[in-house]
Amino acid sequence: MRLLLPTFGTVVVVATLPFILAVVRSLTSNSGQFVGLDNFSRALGNGQLYEAVKQTGLYAAFVLPTEILLGLGLALLVHRTVGSAAIRAAIYVAAMIPIVIPQIAIGVVFRLVYAPDYGILNVLLGDTGHDQILWLSSPPLAMLSVASVDIWQWTPFVYLIMFAGLQTVPSESVEAAQVDGATSWTQFRHIELHYLRPLLLLVLFFRIADVLRVFDHVYVLTGGGPGTTTEFLSLYLYRVAFRFSDLGQASALAVVVMIAMTIFYSLITRFLPTEAR
Amino acid sequence: MGRVLSRLLTTVVLVVAVLVFAFPLYYLVVTSLKTKAELFAAVPTLFPQAPTIQPYLSVLIDRGMSSMLLNSIIVGISATALALGVAFAICYPITRLPVSRRLRAFVLNWALSLRFLPPIAVVIPYFTIVRTIGLYNELPALIIVYAIFNLPLSIWMLKGFLEEIPLEIEEAALVDGASRWYAFRTVLLPLARTGMLAAAIIVFAFDWAEFLFAFILTATPQAMTFPVGVQGLVTQFEIIWNDMAAGGVIAIVLPLGLLIVARRYVMAGLTFGVIREK
Repeated sequence: MRLLLPTFGTVVVVATLPFILAVVRSLTSNSGQFVGLDNFSRALGNGQLYEAVKQTGLYAAFVLPTEILLGLGLALLVHRTVGSAAIRAAIYVAAMIPIVIPQIAIGVVFRLVYAPDYGILNVLLGDTGHDQILWLSSPPLAMLSVASVDIWQWTPFVYLIMFAGLQTVPSESVEAAQVDGATSWTQFRHIELHYLRPLLLLVLFFRIADVLRVFDHVYVLTGGGPGTTTEFLSLYLYRVAFRFSDLGQASALAVVVMIAMTIFYSLITRFLPTEAR
Repeated sequence: MGRVLSRLLTTVVLVVAVLVFAFPLYYLVVTSLKTKAELFAAVPTLFPQAPTIQPYLSVLIDRGMSSMLLNSIIVGISATALALGVAFAICYPITRLPVSRRLRAFVLNWALSLRFLPPIAVVIPYFTIVRTIGLYNELPALIIVYAIFNLPLSIWMLKGFLEEIPLEIEEAALVDGASRWYAFRTVLLPLARTGMLAAAIIVFAFDWAEFLFAFILTATPQAMTFPVGVQGLVTQFEIIWNDMAAGGVIAIVLPLGLLIVARRYVMAGLTFGVIREK
């Protein structure tokens, strides 16, 4: 107790300080006068905020199900059909490679894939002339390109967790089901899914947290463009704070985001299988 | 027949998956080995015609990014040490000493909740603080911010590792008349060493990859970290492809090396210790 409280207390204070300062800053104008909720009304009255929230939602709605279904599918496939321990181990390590690559480097990698003129994708499609596909700068495609990078990086993460989960399914119950003539699908639906459910929630928790903070690879690939089609929440806050240098409005946004995330967090952890409750 | 077909199908799916995941990385490495002349080929080549390490020298020396590399390492090591030190001071009591369940749950829950906070929301007030106290464009600012931001992960990983060490071992030493400090130093610390090291590697890798804080809290190469430099290579008006690719490769090599050393702990690091390899 004597050891824990001072350290933990200090940490909480240090970590909460930004929030308090953001609140203070959000109540003052950029020249330092108290302006009440003026910054909040500007922040919340700005249609671009809702545009950013909508784009983030679209991104999440596309990326999360794709990653989960692909990752789960691959995990089931390998679990059911690959018997060799060496191949399983090789896939295990290989799947971790995209995950450990810094986001900025991922941006570099996909510049080389999607960029016009030098991007390898158009070259492979035999398309290098003037009418090549602008993967990063035409509206619906830019969103798909940016999302595909997320899928490239994080599907292996889902795979690894699902694969680990499948190893915990007791072989007796699977064998019993097979004796009873269970098909591959009923075996998944009635036995394996039961063991995977807590892990699926875990994946969702971390992936949602990541999607809400996505910044690096998008900043490098599209900078939020074309227009604001890939301007997600973090990129929008960045623009208000550091491009427009409107720290009053940005602080109000930061306060709103921090409060919203805290509420969202307390909702989502109700379903989470951890001891942090 | 069905078996053969399903084996074939599996192989095809896996090969396609591996190709999709490996090819972009392959092309990155290939591009980083190309000469300036080769960049002007009408159609980009899939193999370097005359492999050269010139882009790497250009990035590290001509563009002076080796100092950013050094900054990244200094910040990474310092922030990791700071985060783990504080995390240990929090985890030791909650795993080894009689602490109420509610306090314990509160600490862990609080740490986990920070994981949900987007860095951009935090960096806006940090930016003001750092400028006010005169640490803008200085490494110590990054060290402190990185340490705070990786503290939740450090707490959860260390908690997991410390829980695995049976309480009885320390208690046996205490019964034999050792002081708590002595038991801590000679019994617990040696046993916790592997876990500490694993956590340190994972946290360092996160610090190494961090971009947003460094991007906003630094302004010149004196304090910029390597990812900020790489970002400059990508967003400049006219991209020099081989230099950009070389910067990407350099940024990737270190985490890849750490992955090989600490592969048993990567998943624990990514899931706050929930997924553990036995």
